[in-house]
Amino acid sequence: MASGYDRALSVFSPDGHVFQVEYALEAVKRGTCAVAVKGSKIVVLGCEKRSAMKLQDTRITPSKISMVDTHVCLAFAGLNADARILVDKARLEAQSHRLTVEDPVTIEYITKYVAGVQQRYTQSGGVRPFGISTLIVGFDPGSEEARLYQTEPSGIYSAWKANAIGRSSKTVREFLERNHTPSLDRPATIELTIKSLLEVVQTGAKNIEIAIMAPGKEVEYLQSEDIEKIVEKINSEKDAEASTRRGGARGGNAAAGGSAASAQGAEQVLASRPAGEGAAE
Amino acid sequence: MNTLVARYSQPAAHTHAYNADEDSQQLIQDAAPQLSLNFALPPIASTAQWLRAMTDDHSNPNVPIKIAHGTTTLAFRFKGGIIVATDSRATAGNWIASQTVKKVIEINSALLGTMAGGAADCQYWLAYLGMQCRLHELRHKRRISVAAASKILANLVYSYKGMGLSMGTMCAGVTPTEGPALYYIDSDGTRLAGNLFCVGSGQTFAYGVLDAEYKYDMEEDEALELGRRSILAATHRDAYSGGFVNLYHVKEEGWVKHGFNDVNPQFWRYKLEKGEFSNVNAKLDETSGKV
Amino acid sequence: MRGASILKANDDKTRSLNKHTLMAFVGEAGDTVQFADYAQANIQLYSMRNNSELSPYEVSSFIRSELAKSLRSKNPYTVNLLLGGYDAIKQKPELFWIDYLASSAPVPYAAHGYAQYYCLSILDKHHHPDISFEQGMKLLRMCTDELKRRLPIDFKGVLVKVVNKDGVTLQEYPEGEQMYAP
Repeated sequence: MASGYDRALSVFSPDGHVFQVEYALEAVKRGTCAVAVKGSKIVVLGCEKRSAMKLQDTRITPSKISMVDTHVCLAFAGLNADARILVDKARLEAQSHRLTVEDPVTIEYITKYVAGVQQRYTQSGGVRPFGISTLIVGFDPGSEEARLYQTEPSGIYSAWKANAIGRSSKTVREFLERNHTPSLDRPATIELTIKSLLEVVQTGAKNIEIAIMAPGKEVEYLQSEDIEKIVEKINSEKDAEASTRRGGARGGNAAAGGSAASAQGAEQVLASRPAGEGAAE
Repeated sequence: MNTLVARYSQPAAHTHAYNADEDSQQLIQDAAPQLSLNFALPPIASTAQWLRAMTDDHSNPNVPIKIAHGTTTLAFRFKGGIIVATDSRATAGNWIASQTVKKVIEINSALLGTMAGGAADCQYWLAYLGMQCRLHELRHKRRISVAAASKILANLVYSYKGMGLSMGTMCAGVTPTEGPALYYIDSDGTRLAGNLFCVGSGQTFAYGVLDAEYKYDMEEDEALELGRRSILAATHRDAYSGGFVNLYHVKEEGWVKHGFNDVNPQFWRYKLEKGEFSNVNAKLDETSGKV
Repeated sequence: MRGASILKANDDKTRSLNKHTLMAFVGEAGDTVQFADYAQANIQLYSMRNNSELSPYEVSSFIRSELAKSLRSKNPYTVNLLLGGYDAIKQKPELFWIDYLASSAPVPYAAHGYAQYYCLSILDKHHHPDISFEQGMKLLRMCTDELKRRLPIDFKGVLVKVVNKDGVTLQEYPEGEQMYAP
């Protein structure tokens, strides 16, 4: 298919691709979705949780959100096992940084480190790139401004106001582009995170995980009951909105084109599905 | 170099985790910036012992290599920043090797280091520190903290512990996050943050003057004066200190130099104008010095 | 101290390793802080990696094994330690006496250096396992008073920290008056 240029990692194809890295991005696209949203003095990470099998112990199954240091939180999409290794390297670097510089890492520094590790695994023989993208959030020591970075298997890193990675990340990112405003307060940031996740998570609250970070505070994981409440609120708002739209916009918007209509259609399907009742993935 | 130090200069846990994965191990080592350099060592069983035998003029005054030693250096924090002052004499045994040594080392526009102990050791490693600080600036897009800079030096000299390095140095700087910060580092590996340090053979004399009148809330001119007077006191009583008073003031915008002045005229000014040093009976015209 | 001067009188010779354990250290200049920071970073890394805290006994085992490794290396750490902590599971305090030869012993009270010679006899006589916090502080005062009275070198006072179920806190400890041998 790719005529051998995808075999050895460190070999370019004639048109300048490193296929293994691109395949790693495919692995990311198949991973469960992760979202991060910055508000004012707050940043929220949201993750789609795989629906658990009946006998799985969900309480102690490792989460997709992990702490790198007390002030840095990381979520990933892609291969779980690869992430474990990468997170561990990041944790070690965070402690090592504290030891040698007597300061906690800045979010940019640790992002650069993570991206640096990922890059190294695209340029030497006998290794495989990390099949993960990460979202790294937190507050720099002494700062009140939230930070949000993304890293990719290629080693690229970039800063964002809000972003999504993993399955259907494009849909979620487009949703965020439409709905994100810079100075969101705490409830609004949490709500936007959950709302954007609901674009792809059809099974509602029980498959969503939320971590919240604020300056100088420890990370806070939202209880599933609280997530449930917010999901219900979102759904009822959507229902209300949909019913008013049905009343007012019949015929008037007919010319607005098929694309808008289909987007709306998807939303309505979502809204009408009761929270917490899941279809299998 | 010894295994413990080697283990230290790398983040320690690397050696324990993922041993099976040699490639990744290699990758890690490629990327970690080497903090301590590797030197070619002379073909001697114990370098440290040999060096001590050759240079320790305390136990044997006739050693073949006499390292420049005697010094008075001081630095103290006050509300307007940090004052750094030194003398300028270098001695090798009882011989005054130089009267015009620059013992304040300008690491960069915001950081100063002082020099006591082996002159070569201090000059070399503080220049090296300057290099690391610049690299930190380029890598992190902001000025290095004084805490971090001093720790680079402390970790470095600690890795050479027992091998004959001789330095007693102070790092002074003012940064937006730390404010005025002052650290003492010596070749034992000690690193202390503090308000006031005097280092060198004349330290006791400098402490005497400084401790008595030091207050954190001094005005700038008061602080400069106290630094100058403390060095002068040490140059007067310590045979291994003398020459010129080298005076600096470190502020947030960077350091400012306040002269490199001969101690002799200063001594006479204090004696004649203020009536200090009353134990000296000589008259000014009996000496070669002019005010 | 280098040369004949005290460089710093209020240096904190303790490190919190995690929420419930505190380590105090004395020994060779340089070695002490390097070892303490190294131990602190590794214990915190453990908490970060495993999302759980080591008990004081577990911490003491780690420290002891690191010292044992160091002892058999080319230049060992010359550090003596006291490790105090509160075991949140057993719900009781623990104290370990550790020296640079990598001995570790659980003890009800401990001291290192010259202080041992003055304090241990006092503690032997007046310490009981069930004393209250206030009685403990009184006992500490007896020890520091004796050090003031008898230690040939001028005793520059102590820094007191308390470890209990709520973690590590700095304890106010008024210097008290000058003591003279009667």
